[in-house]
Amino acid sequence: MLPVQLIVALVVGIAIAALLFRGTRALAGQTVGRIVLLVGIVGLPLLLSVGNVSYGVHESSTTRFCLSCHEMQRHGKSLFADNPQALAAAHYQNRRVDRETVCYSCHKDYAMFGDVTAKLNGLRHVWAHYIKGVPAKIELYKPYPNSNCLHCHDDARRFVDSPVHRPLLDAMYAGTTSCLSCHRIAHDMAKVDAEQFWQAR
Amino acid sequence: MSTGEPNDKVARGIRRAALVAGTGLVVQLAAALHWTPAMFIVSAAVGAPLVVAGGVMFLVAVWRNMRDKGAV
Repeated sequence: MLPVQLIVALVVGIAIAALLFRGTRALAGQTVGRIVLLVGIVGLPLLLSVGNVSYGVHESSTTRFCLSCHEMQRHGKSLFADNPQALAAAHYQNRRVDRETVCYSCHKDYAMFGDVTAKLNGLRHVWAHYIKGVPAKIELYKPYPNSNCLHCHDDARRFVDSPVHRPLLDAMYAGTTSCLSCHRIAHDMAKVDAEQFWQAR
Repeated sequence: MSTGEPNDKVARGIRRAALVAGTGLVVQLAAALHWTPAMFIVSAAVGAPLVVAGGVMFLVAVWRNMRDKGAV
């Protein structure tokens, strides 16, 4: 359920539209009445819709939204996998990303239309969930781009000063060497299946 | 104020617009109460366009009324 304030606002908007529907004949003959109708039937509903949709877009970036589909719940559990080398677990458990938007932080592209692409991919997920069917193995639509990692790690001292990273920096920036060629485990499903989880004390 | 035939006509148009916009809000309310990824899409792809359609219908009704009265 969305926040109570939003629901109350929608109920009020509907009530106003219903009242104006009943009183249209009386109001339509007067200039002030037409302004009231314009505000109540056009302005207010449009404002409510913009608020509702923008809140929905914001909400669709949250971890709970991604994990609300049962097929993603194993991936959600992998955030708690007891493996400090697994990327999802390491980032979540060490708070390297905002826990509220952990899926979105790593899986959206940071290019100009990254948000739009992520939302369109979200539509594909919903299509697969309800219509096409979920594939037996959930995979990315394209190889994971280094640019998503570099969005945060780019010039971080720990990253650039690492003796392992140094000789590979140019190749990583060029995208010819994938970060995942060394950091192989993104989601540790073996730990999930073995139910080996880390828990904050 | 007079509520002659032209006003009846515009009132009918405005009532239809209110009905469509109100339906859009009801769809959005239903989605907000049962919030899932699918309901979000229903809200954005059905509810919001209905509200926009209601707004357009309102403006068309008013514009037609003004045209009939020779105001435009």
